[in-house]
Amino acid sequence: MKSKQNSKIWLYVVMLLITVLTVGPFLITLFMAMKSGSEGIYTSLLPKDPTLSNFVTAFEKANFGLYFMNTAIITAIAIPLNLLFCSLAAYPLARMDFRGRSVVLALIISTMMVPFQLYMAPLFQLAGELGLRNTHIGLVVMQVSTAFGIFLMRQAYLRIPKELEESAYLDGANRFKVWYLVVLPLVKPTLVTLAIFTFMGTWGDYLWPLLNSTESSMYTLSIGLAQLSQNFDGSNLKLISAASILTTIPTLLIFIWLQKYFISGATDGAVKG
Amino acid sequence: MNREPVVLPNVKTKITTTKKKKKFSMKFLTPWLFLLPAIVILATFLVYPILEAFKWSFLDYKIIAGTGEYVGLDNFKEMFADKYFWVALVNTLTFLVIVLPLNVFLPMILAVLVNQRIRGAGTFRVLYYLPVITPMVVAALMWKMLYSQSGIISEFLVKLGVFDGPTNLLVQSSTALTAVAAITVWKGLGYYMIIYLAGLQSIPKDVYESASIDGASVWKQFTKITIPMLTPSITLVSVMTIIAGMKVFEEIALTTGGGPSGATTTLVMYIYNKFMSLDVSIASAAGIVLLVLAIAASLLQMKLTSKREDDLRV
Repeated sequence: MKSKQNSKIWLYVVMLLITVLTVGPFLITLFMAMKSGSEGIYTSLLPKDPTLSNFVTAFEKANFGLYFMNTAIITAIAIPLNLLFCSLAAYPLARMDFRGRSVVLALIISTMMVPFQLYMAPLFQLAGELGLRNTHIGLVVMQVSTAFGIFLMRQAYLRIPKELEESAYLDGANRFKVWYLVVLPLVKPTLVTLAIFTFMGTWGDYLWPLLNSTESSMYTLSIGLAQLSQNFDGSNLKLISAASILTTIPTLLIFIWLQKYFISGATDGAVKG
Repeated sequence: MNREPVVLPNVKTKITTTKKKKKFSMKFLTPWLFLLPAIVILATFLVYPILEAFKWSFLDYKIIAGTGEYVGLDNFKEMFADKYFWVALVNTLTFLVIVLPLNVFLPMILAVLVNQRIRGAGTFRVLYYLPVITPMVVAALMWKMLYSQSGIISEFLVKLGVFDGPTNLLVQSSTALTAVAAITVWKGLGYYMIIYLAGLQSIPKDVYESASIDGASVWKQFTKITIPMLTPSITLVSVMTIIAGMKVFEEIALTTGGGPSGATTTLVMYIYNKFMSLDVSIASAAGIVLLVLAIAASLLQMKLTSKREDDLRV
């Protein structure tokens, strides 16, 4: 009995040590963000005279209010459009027989393998030609319809028993009505998962906004942070830390809110490989 | 859920025979109406740029002029003759070799730990997942701070006696790639933990029960039951690591920028640098190499998973 007790204590010790590893960097960054102007950055871990002034400076002087707005706007565009277009497109691919279905499906799935870095230069040029440079829509062209989203939704539709839809057709409903009234409510959990994937993909996106936002008025949080970190020393570190925390808070809140979907979504997303 | 499965044979044919003519055109159009918005967007912003990239790799493309002459395989020849391309390829592979074993084993240990029936296991699960939800830029900058010469990691290593004086691992060419890889591993720990957890929970409990009745130690149970039963998850984690690992960008671009002297310039950094210096044709050629590697990894996954299904069938 005693050895069992002991092994339990060891288990907790190991788990706490790992927690230090996973959560520690956040705490260090938070403490750094709360250090006041005169305090040395590496002299101690905890802030001697905790202050929120770095957050205020980030918002007011370093334009993070604007970057926050930009990021919120593009995320608010990306999530509903991606959910709508993917859930629409996936339906015939799961349920209807038509010529070209297997070709369309194969094409969509094979594009998931293509690395963004292959086509970022042509996309950059295209965005310029279409007038999408330095626009909110231009920043999310990769997120408003995703091959992964179509794949995910199709998997969800395939899990629903066909009989439900067929009885609705008997009642005279058309395809669109059946999709909207019968099928969509049944795949709500997958819609939430896709919303999370879209949120994470858009909120933290870096490379595409870096290319497409050439004016600072169109920077997202990621770009603003990267720009701020060009000067990576001294007092600026406190500002970078504050801005890092500000950037992470929305993802943290959404994680707390939709925790179980994050966990089930992780394994859903794994299927794509 | 309480739903009675309604079996309705031949429903479709009944409807189509009664309203045959009207149904025909609608039947043809309906799927495409559903597909239309997504297909237009994907064709414009995904398929077209991909095809362009292939085209550019055979042209001497000038992105400012928007034109280029056909040069055959010259871009590929130039790239293969470029010493830095090979350095980038080797760095990409080295990066994967560092990350792969860590990604396979560390999250597995985490999964076994949080799978224990102890108080607070759920909380630890959440705390281990935090790095996954951190925006990549934030993760990169936090670690850049931790790595700095007067930062906590340097201090720790000096105390351990690894270094004589304060050292920034990111600016030493011998350690930079490993230091960057550590960020990638840290960020993925919780994600792969969840994948292993799903695998662990599919192992029947009675296997362990009969093993402990037979007197097998915890370690023996781990090596003889857990690891073999987790093989599908190990395969999945490995392939995902390879596919994601070859595309790593932020943790390099924002910490070392590919330096010192090219020590962390991976294939993706090479492509990015070529694009920045407007050598978009070389960038496209290097992008095709990256695509080939990604396809190879996906084929490997298909082969491994189908082999697994064969094994199960026997």
